[in-house]
Amino acid sequence: MPIIEVSRLVKEFGAGRAPLRALDEVSFAVDKGRFVTLVGPSGCGKSTLLQILAGLTAPTRGEARIEGERVCGPMPGKVGMVFQDPTLLPWKTAFANVEFPLDLRGDDRPARRKRCAALLELVGLAEFADHYPHELSGGMRQRVAIARGLAQDPKLILMDEPFAALDEQTRTRMGHDLLDIWAATGKTVFFITHSLSEAIYLSDAVLVMSPRPGRIIDTIAIDFPRPRELDIIGSAAFGAIRNRIWHLISEAR
Amino acid sequence: MRAAIAGYLIFVVVLLGGWELAARLSAVDPDLLPPPAEVGAVLWQFLHDPRFLGDLALTANEVAAAFVIAAPLAVSTGFLLGERLHLAETFNPLVHFILAVPQSIFLPIFILAFGIGFLEKVLFGITHAYFVILINSFAAVRSIPRPLVTAARVFGATRAQIYTRIYLPAMLPLILTGLRLGMIFCIIGVLLAEMYASRRGIGQLIFDWGEGQQIPELLAGIVLISVLTIAVNELMRLAELRLAQFRAAAAAG
Repeated sequence: MPIIEVSRLVKEFGAGRAPLRALDEVSFAVDKGRFVTLVGPSGCGKSTLLQILAGLTAPTRGEARIEGERVCGPMPGKVGMVFQDPTLLPWKTAFANVEFPLDLRGDDRPARRKRCAALLELVGLAEFADHYPHELSGGMRQRVAIARGLAQDPKLILMDEPFAALDEQTRTRMGHDLLDIWAATGKTVFFITHSLSEAIYLSDAVLVMSPRPGRIIDTIAIDFPRPRELDIIGSAAFGAIRNRIWHLISEAR
Repeated sequence: MRAAIAGYLIFVVVLLGGWELAARLSAVDPDLLPPPAEVGAVLWQFLHDPRFLGDLALTANEVAAAFVIAAPLAVSTGFLLGERLHLAETFNPLVHFILAVPQSIFLPIFILAFGIGFLEKVLFGITHAYFVILINSFAAVRSIPRPLVTAARVFGATRAQIYTRIYLPAMLPLILTGLRLGMIFCIIGVLLAEMYASRRGIGQLIFDWGEGQQIPELLAGIVLISVLTIAVNELMRLAELRLAQFRAAAAAG
């Protein structure tokens, strides 16, 4: 059963005679519990699509549904999000940042504290609960942001190039750990990246988007068994998929 | 902090020592620079003189009244301009225009319009403080990182929660800086008005002592006002650092 259903989504910016079309009749569905990644060149409208799913922007035409419900605003508790920039509150500790979404929702204190401790444990930052964001490395901040995204126990996590600002090694490590977190929590992850390797390594399926105006040009199923080891990135099968996606994107220009 | 206190102490010791030395060696005409002990004795007398204390209280009341009126007005207009940028486009040039003109030149007009007295002093203090607080309040709104607001929206923050949980703490450091500067400007405005034309108040006393070449009294007044204003400034700075620790820490880290 699909948790995300997107049908004939169009997003245009700027009114008037020549609006800029960012998304062009985008349709796809994501099944519950899957890890699906959307790849595409910069400026193809990936982030716009994610913002529509998060209820932050309204589409010009078409619709997006999450768990059958039409998206017309943020859906806290249903949809969690991790941004490219960790967007942690600098005046709150790691713990309080993870607690923030529960605090907004008005959960009682003991339940909040228990959940946040467990989440920080899950992302491997139990000892850093009392640290402020500026005392943490980029990777650690993003781990806090992931824990925060999970706080309200949403079924769906949207991730907008969450590792793009990290160095190569941290990025690979974070991807690997994200898979563990995903396996442990059973969430659906909808991930955006422009890194083909990251997309293939992480996902059950990769949606390939064309340059602007963004269209879904193909959906590639990734069948590597799980749990996956980083070694698969060097394999011939991995390289073949990578090349295929690469050609899809370059020919779509 | 300890180093800063040492700095203050060294400053005070060098100042008093240099002063004492200059007076003893008669390096400066003793009529122009009486020794610190003599000035200290005058100051001690002042602190037991009800008439002097009455003048001091009057000035303090004028400053307090000006600040209490200017602060909320200026913070809220600064906030409004920060939130409504089309208003800012209209009014910001005006604010900078007004700030560029030395306000002291308007004092005669204040006197013509409001007479000489409490009201005129307070109004002159208000106009001194208003714009500097406004500018900081405006900058505080503009300094709120928009992605933090977006993230809060995704987690279901209501409008009220966005104001209290994101706006307020994010704006606090700059607002406090504005209030501290505003307080200093209030004091400047009130003292200036008192020195220019007044029947009572510490500014008027200082001006009279200068006119009458009553140097020990003049110096005692200067020392007292310096100590008081430094104390007010430092207290407000301490509050600033306490309430906005994250900002100082983030800037240092």
